[in-house]
Amino acid sequence: MIALLRRCLPVWLWLLAGLWAAPVSADHQVGTLDTIGSDTMAGLMLRWGELLGERYPGLRVQLRAVGSASAPPALTAGTTLLGPMSRPMTADERQAFIDRHGYPPREVVVARDALVVVVNRHNPLPSLSQREFDAIFSESRRCGATEGIRRWQQLGLESPVGPIVLHGRNAVSGTHGLFRREGLCNGSFRPEVNEHPGSAAVVESVADDPLAIGYAGLNHLTPGVRAVPLRDADGRVHEPTPQEVRSDAYPLARDLRIYVNQPPGSSLPDAERAFLDLVFSVEGQAIVEELGFVSLPAATLVRQRRILGL
Amino acid sequence: MHDSPASPLLRRRLRQGRDRLATALITAGGIGVIAAVMAIGVFLFVEVLPLFWHGASTAPQVNVDTLWLPQSYPGLDEPVYRWEPALPEGDPGPRFSLAPLAWGTLEAAAWSLVVAVPLALGAAAHSALFMSRRLRAAIKPTLELMEALPGVVIGFLAGLVLAPWLEAHLGLGLTLLLLVPPGVVLGGALWSRLPGRLRRRLPLGWSALWLLPWLLLLWSLAKWLAPWLEGWWFDGDLRAWLAVHLGLDYVSRNAIIVGMAMGFAVMPTIYALAEDALSGVPTSLAEGAQALGATRWQTLCRVVLPAAAPGVFSAVMIGAGRAVGETMIVLIASGNTALMTASPLDGLRSLAASIAIELPEAAPGGTHYRVLLLAALLLFLFTFLVNTLAEVVRGRLRRRYRRMGDSP
Repeated sequence: MIALLRRCLPVWLWLLAGLWAAPVSADHQVGTLDTIGSDTMAGLMLRWGELLGERYPGLRVQLRAVGSASAPPALTAGTTLLGPMSRPMTADERQAFIDRHGYPPREVVVARDALVVVVNRHNPLPSLSQREFDAIFSESRRCGATEGIRRWQQLGLESPVGPIVLHGRNAVSGTHGLFRREGLCNGSFRPEVNEHPGSAAVVESVADDPLAIGYAGLNHLTPGVRAVPLRDADGRVHEPTPQEVRSDAYPLARDLRIYVNQPPGSSLPDAERAFLDLVFSVEGQAIVEELGFVSLPAATLVRQRRILGL
Repeated sequence: MHDSPASPLLRRRLRQGRDRLATALITAGGIGVIAAVMAIGVFLFVEVLPLFWHGASTAPQVNVDTLWLPQSYPGLDEPVYRWEPALPEGDPGPRFSLAPLAWGTLEAAAWSLVVAVPLALGAAAHSALFMSRRLRAAIKPTLELMEALPGVVIGFLAGLVLAPWLEAHLGLGLTLLLLVPPGVVLGGALWSRLPGRLRRRLPLGWSALWLLPWLLLLWSLAKWLAPWLEGWWFDGDLRAWLAVHLGLDYVSRNAIIVGMAMGFAVMPTIYALAEDALSGVPTSLAEGAQALGATRWQTLCRVVLPAAAPGVFSAVMIGAGRAVGETMIVLIASGNTALMTASPLDGLRSLAASIAIELPEAAPGGTHYRVLLLAALLLFLFTFLVNTLAEVVRGRLRRRYRRMGDSP
């Protein structure tokens, strides 16, 4: 049931945003905050927006969480000033923005996230190297493995016995893209990978099947699955703990960003300014931790504030 | 209230005017619907056309070959079918093969018909000819109400409840499959051997009710037999046995699960239409056959079924049309793996599910977007053809019944 709710999160968001903007009548309105972007960050943006709404009751907040790919076009077209993204902008997306506005978008990191490789909680797999999970998930094996890994025995395990059942995200999601870039050396996935519309569904499928392996966002971990520690090139083993993720030692860590359309030398409108101020505050970062992401160290927060002139 | 003293003439004019307005509105509505359906087709066609217009854009182009034939890609030994909308940077050529998606769509539809057709037609024949009228009045609307069950609900139940259950109880599932159909036939055989007094207490028209305890008995028998069967025949683990002896890997989201879920979804449609066709056969025919000494079974097979065959056929066609277009069930229950294997234990990916997953995030005007619209156009044409065929056949059936009714 929880998974059902979570999987429908974008829809919920729409509903919630609508409901909660509705009672604000036009004459109390002090401003509108629009954001369009990542669905990984949907929960995060929603909670920040809620907190902002409590502080400024007249503020109208509209959050759209379609996917990271939706942020750059909206920023370029000027539909929104804030574009949350779970991956960096590509060179093309950035250039399109510069062509339109004459200056680059400002990029601030608002939280840390990591992808975890998950197996069923009864699976004894001690750790995986990049070459191994490339051999498991990809058919191109660009990371250097000589042959594909299709059964658990090939990893030196006595149990579980049987084929490795693969689960992952659909091809248009940022999670899929990041995992392919960092995990598969930019190769291509096997067609046998079950594609799910959300990370929660991946985790749930892995929790149900002792032969399954999958990848998902850190914040989707449940007691039914176990995050497999990853070995780096030097053979050191990294667990996805907050320290490892924050220090970038964990191989599949990533930044969650908000891209801001702010002309050089000018300051942001009040609503956006208040929102970003909240994001970098103690309460804002507490929400990050609460939702299962990793908060930023104090020094980074100061640096991000300086980028925006807050 | 009292009547207004209007002249009868005025009142008649008013009524005529109202009639004319209603007729105009209904006509406009009808034309509007037809125009909308045609507009959808035209829109899809116009959007798809630039895909085959070479040189118009710099985006990776596709053609009939890349869409339908296996392609060779770097790093792979032989040509393969691949549907991979997100390409690694620096990879040449698009990987948009519609073949595995079309295959998955047809495979899902085929398995759902394998599940639905015997059950739905059996139920339709039974309820049209054998069932007591009182029971039928209760069961028919209930079955038809099942049609209103949203696909997303069935999909969730299949993906979140049925798939994990079957995965954990594979042996029991197989035992049930082997045990229940012969078990029900055995039930019928036993019934016909019952002493007359007892048989009158369990009339054929109410068998839908008194078979329930029998089914429960079969279920517990299967439950008792399953571990024994699995241990004796399959070395204690059916899943491992399949992998070792047949080279088949059981994946929890597979074509069988999709077939069961979607079969459940199309069953009410097929049942309702087939039941109407069978019960619409003029009673004079069946009565005539029985008066000549035919048994009920002979009447069904030799007289009623052939007479209603076009209706039954169109029921199956409409069911197939629904199965091909069904989105949510396949999306949730199938695992969305774009494979082209015949094994029912592998996953599949359908055209409709691909559109639902990827269209919201495909850049409008890009190759990916247009290929997805091409998939939509294919679906549109397919369902359109199937439904038209079914309607034509049904229309012919209606005329045939009228003729039979006229000449007793």
